[in-house]
Amino acid sequence: MALNRKIAYIDLSTGKIEIKPIPLNIRRKFLGGRGLDAYLLYNHTEKGCDPLGPKNTLMVSGGILTATLASATARTHVMAKSPLGGMIGSANMGGFFAPELAWAGFHHLVIKGKADRPVYLWINNGKIEIRDARHLWGKTTTETQWAIREELGDDDIKCMVIGPAGENLVRFANVMTGIKNSGGRTGMGAVMGSKNLKAIAARGTMDIKIAHPKEALEYNKRFIDQITSAKVNQTQGTLGTPFIWGATNSWGGVRCRNFQYNQELYCDEIEPEAIDEVCTETIGPYHMAGCFACQVHCRAKYRIPTGPYAGAYDEGPEYTSQGAFCGEPDCRSMETLLTGNHLVDQWGMDNLETGSLISWAMELYELGILTDKETDGLDLRFGNDEALLEMVRRICFREGWLGDTLAEGGIIASERIGKDSFNYLIQVKGVSNLHSDERATPALALNVATASRGSDHLRSRPAIDLYHLPEEVLRKIYSTPVPYNGPLSSEHTEYIGKPWQVFWQENCYMAVDCLGICKYHTVFLGATLPNFEDWPKVLYYNTGLEFTPREIWDIAERCNMIERLFNLREGLTREDLVRGDMLNHRYFDEPTRRGAPDVVGRVIDREKFRKMIDEFYEYKGLDRNGVPKPETLKRLGLEDEPSHLL
Amino acid sequence: MGSEKEGLSTAESLRKTRTYGQFRCHNPSCMGRLQPQPGVNHVKCPACGMEFRVAWIKPNFPRIRGPVWDVNQKLAEEAFERKMKEEKRDGVK
Amino acid sequence: MEPMGKVLAIDHEKCTGCRLCEIVCSVFHDGVSNAARSRIKIVKWESEGVYIPISCQQCQDAPCKIICPVKAISRDEKLSRVMVDQNRCIGCRACVAVCPFGAMNFNVIDRKVFKCDLCDGDPQCVRFCEVKAVDYVPADRVSSSKKRAAAEKISTAQRQAVALEAESR
Ligand code: SF4
Ligand code: SF4
Ligand code: SF4
Ligand SMILES: [Zn+2]
Repeated sequence: MALNRKIAYIDLSTGKIEIKPIPLNIRRKFLGGRGLDAYLLYNHTEKGCDPLGPKNTLMVSGGILTATLASATARTHVMAKSPLGGMIGSANMGGFFAPELAWAGFHHLVIKGKADRPVYLWINNGKIEIRDARHLWGKTTTETQWAIREELGDDDIKCMVIGPAGENLVRFANVMTGIKNSGGRTGMGAVMGSKNLKAIAARGTMDIKIAHPKEALEYNKRFIDQITSAKVNQTQGTLGTPFIWGATNSWGGVRCRNFQYNQELYCDEIEPEAIDEVCTETIGPYHMAGCFACQVHCRAKYRIPTGPYAGAYDEGPEYTSQGAFCGEPDCRSMETLLTGNHLVDQWGMDNLETGSLISWAMELYELGILTDKETDGLDLRFGNDEALLEMVRRICFREGWLGDTLAEGGIIASERIGKDSFNYLIQVKGVSNLHSDERATPALALNVATASRGSDHLRSRPAIDLYHLPEEVLRKIYSTPVPYNGPLSSEHTEYIGKPWQVFWQENCYMAVDCLGICKYHTVFLGATLPNFEDWPKVLYYNTGLEFTPREIWDIAERCNMIERLFNLREGLTREDLVRGDMLNHRYFDEPTRRGAPDVVGRVIDREKFRKMIDEFYEYKGLDRNGVPKPETLKRLGLEDEPSHLL
Repeated sequence: MGSEKEGLSTAESLRKTRTYGQFRCHNPSCMGRLQPQPGVNHVKCPACGMEFRVAWIKPNFPRIRGPVWDVNQKLAEEAFERKMKEEKRDGVK
Repeated sequence: MEPMGKVLAIDHEKCTGCRLCEIVCSVFHDGVSNAARSRIKIVKWESEGVYIPISCQQCQDAPCKIICPVKAISRDEKLSRVMVDQNRCIGCRACVAVCPFGAMNFNVIDRKVFKCDLCDGDPQCVRFCEVKAVDYVPADRVSSSKKRAAAEKISTAQRQAVALEAESR
C-alpha cells in the first residue's frame, strides 16, 4: 500500500534513526512530496538557521503516488533552507530514485545534523544504515553511483548523490541521480555536502499494493493516451526540452548576454534539430530515454563528438544547458554545449545558476567592473567558449578569486565584487532567473517574481499563455475546480487576468509535486493535459483514498501557504530586491530589442506589475504586504503552525 | 467513484481542440495559423512578413525550426526604431 | 492466423528504459506494483545508455521444461507459451539456473518460480509500451522484420561508403 510507506528521521550527528508511519490525517492535509516536505521544513528548522550548518534540515521524498500505477511518478523532491537565498530551498528531479526508495519502504526522509566524516545512507527493505563514504569523497556523480553498486553488489541500486561541487559547498551544487537527472535549483547539493552526506542509496523489493488494480490499469492507459497524444509531448519525446529553448528564442523570449538581449542570433548550430542529429549519429535513430514509467521519454542520449571529452557519454542537454552554454554567454558551438552539459552533470552543479552567474560576470567584465585582476587574466568577454568552460571548472573547485566568489552565489558575490554589480544580477530571492526573458510576457514576469523558491518557472508559470488560446478554452481550464468569472486574455503581452492564471498554476504545480508526477503530464506546456479533475481517479484507483478536485486544490493552496510562511519567517518583504517578490530594475527600464516585431520595445509596466501583485495576493488571501490574513490561515487549517505533528 | 462509467474531464474534452499540421506565427499579433505544405522547409507569414525555417516532427507534424535570421532581424530593428520614436512622442507605453 | 502462435518480439534499440512494462506486469498478475515481481525485466548498462528488455522466449525445446525434476513445466501450444504448474513446483530453482536468458524468476516471498505467461494472450507490457520495444507478433514475422532491419543497416552503410568515396575524390 502506498499509504504504509514510512517517514525516517536520521540524525547524522548522533547516528540515531527513527522510523514512523505517516498518519492519514497528515496525508489528507498535505498528501506527500513537496507539500509534506514544506510542512516538515517549517516544523523542523529554526528561524534564521545557517543553511550550511548542522541545524538545517534536509528533506528527501517521493509523492503519494510514487511507484504506483500512475504515469511518470518518477520525481524525487528535495527540500531544505536554501544556501543561495536563505528562503525555501527546493529541487525536483526525474529518474528512478524515488520509486526505488518507495519499494524500500520510505516516502520521506528527514535528515538532520552533520556526520563527523563523509558518509552515505544505505536504505534497503525497511532498514537504514549509515555507512562510511571517505573512499567516495572527490568522486564525480556517476563514479560515486557505480562505486556504491559495486560495493553493495547490486546493479539495481538507485542513488541520489553529490559531486565535487556539493563537497566544495558551491552554493548552487545540485543533487543527482543517474547520468543527468538533477535536483538542480537552490543548492541542495551544498546542503548535503555541509552534512558530509555524499549519497543516499536505495534498493527495495517491497510490494506496493494497488487499491483497485484492474481499474488502475485501464485508467492509466487512458491517462497515458491523453498525455502522449499532445503535440507538445510528441515534440518533447523527439527533441527533448531544447525544442522549448529553440521556439522561445525564435520569437525573442530567452536571455542573451545576461539581460542585454532577448534572443541569440544566428545560432543554427545549436538548434534542437542540430542536437538531434548529433544524437542520431553518436547513439542511433532511437536515442530518447524516459524516466520511471513515463511514455513521453524526453531525455536524449548522446556522445560528445569532438573536443577534449570526445566520446564521453551523457544525456540531455536540456533547455537550461542551452541557456547556460549558448544563449546567455552568446556562444554557439555544439562542442561547448555538450561539453558544458557534461561537466555540470559530472561535477554536480546547477547548469542554470552556473550559466547565469558566468554571464553576469561576463557583462561585468565588459563593463570594467571586473578586470583581469579578478579573473586572473581570463578573457571573460561574451562569446569566449574556452573562458566559459574554464569558469565552470573554477567555480566547481573554487579556484581563483572569481571562481571562489561566484561559487558563493549571486548575492554574496555581488557584495564581494561591489560597485554596482548587484544592479546587473538577474535574480529573485537570491536565485538566478531562468534563461528566459519575461519583458514581453507579464504573466511570466509575475510568476518569476512570486515563486516561492526564488526566481523559477516551475512554481507557477502559465506557459500556455503563449499559445493564444481562445478565451473560451482558457476559461474552461482556469475555472475548474474553483469558479473564476474575472477577465482572461489570449494576448500574452497583456496584464489582465494573469494573476488568476498564475494563482491557478501555482496550485496545479504544487498538486503535481505532492503527487510525485512530472509537470509534462499536466497543464504546463500543453493545455489539454490532465489536472485537478483527472487526479482524483488516479488517486482512488491506486491508493483507495477519495478526494474531490476541490479538495486537491485546497491541499495545494495549503502547501503553498506553508512555503510562504517559511519565507516570511526568514524575512520575505514584498518589494525587497534580495528577499522579496520583486524583479531586477532592467525588467522595467530597458526595452527588449530583438525578436518578433510585437515583442521588441517591451518593458514591464511598474504600476501594472504592482497591481498584478496586489491581485495575486488577494487570491492567495494575503494582505498588501504579502502576509496571510488570519482568516486565510484559519480557512486553510494552518492557524496553529508549526504544529509539530510529524 | 469506483467503477461506474465516467464522463470526460475538462482536459479530455479539450482534446478535440488540438490542431495537427499547423502552427502559429511567432508574432503575438498574428492570431492566424500557418499551415505549411507537406515537406516544405520555409514559410512566410502573410500577415506580418516574418519568415521561418520549418522542421517536421512527423510527416504531418511541422514545427518552426527557427527564424530566417536576416529577414526577421530586419523586421525587429525597424519595429524597435518605430517604437522608440512613438515612445518619445507619447511617453512610455 | 490463429494456430501459428504469436510471440513477444523485443527490439532493445527502441527501449527508452522507462520500466512501465515491469509495473504493469506486476499489477496485472499480482495486484501490486513491484518491479521484483515483474516477468519482464529491463537490464541496463546505464553508463552507456543501453537498456535491454529480458523476458521468456517461450522456447520450443525449453531447457527449463527439460530440466524440471517434477515436470511442472509444460508447453501450451494454443498460445505458444511455456507454463509453470504452481501446484507441482517444488521451488528447486533448477529452471532458474538453466534458462539461457535469465527469464525464469524466483519469488523469495512465496518461494516459487514465475515467468511470463503472455498475459493469456493480451500482453500488458506490449499494450503499454508506446515505442513498441516489446511487440506481440506472429512467430514467423520476427525474423523477417529482423532481416529487414539488418538490410536497412547494410544499405545505409553502403550509401555512406559511396558518399565518403565521392567526397574523398
Ligand atoms: S516527461 Fe521527461 S522529465 Fe518528465 S518524467 Fe517523462 S522523461 Fe522524465
Ligand atoms: S515499456 Fe517499453 S520502452 Fe519502457 S522499459 Fe518496457 S520495453 Fe522499454
Ligand atoms: S506478456 Fe504479460 S506476463 Fe509476459 S512480460 Fe509482458 S506483461 Fe509480463
Ligand atoms: Zn505573422
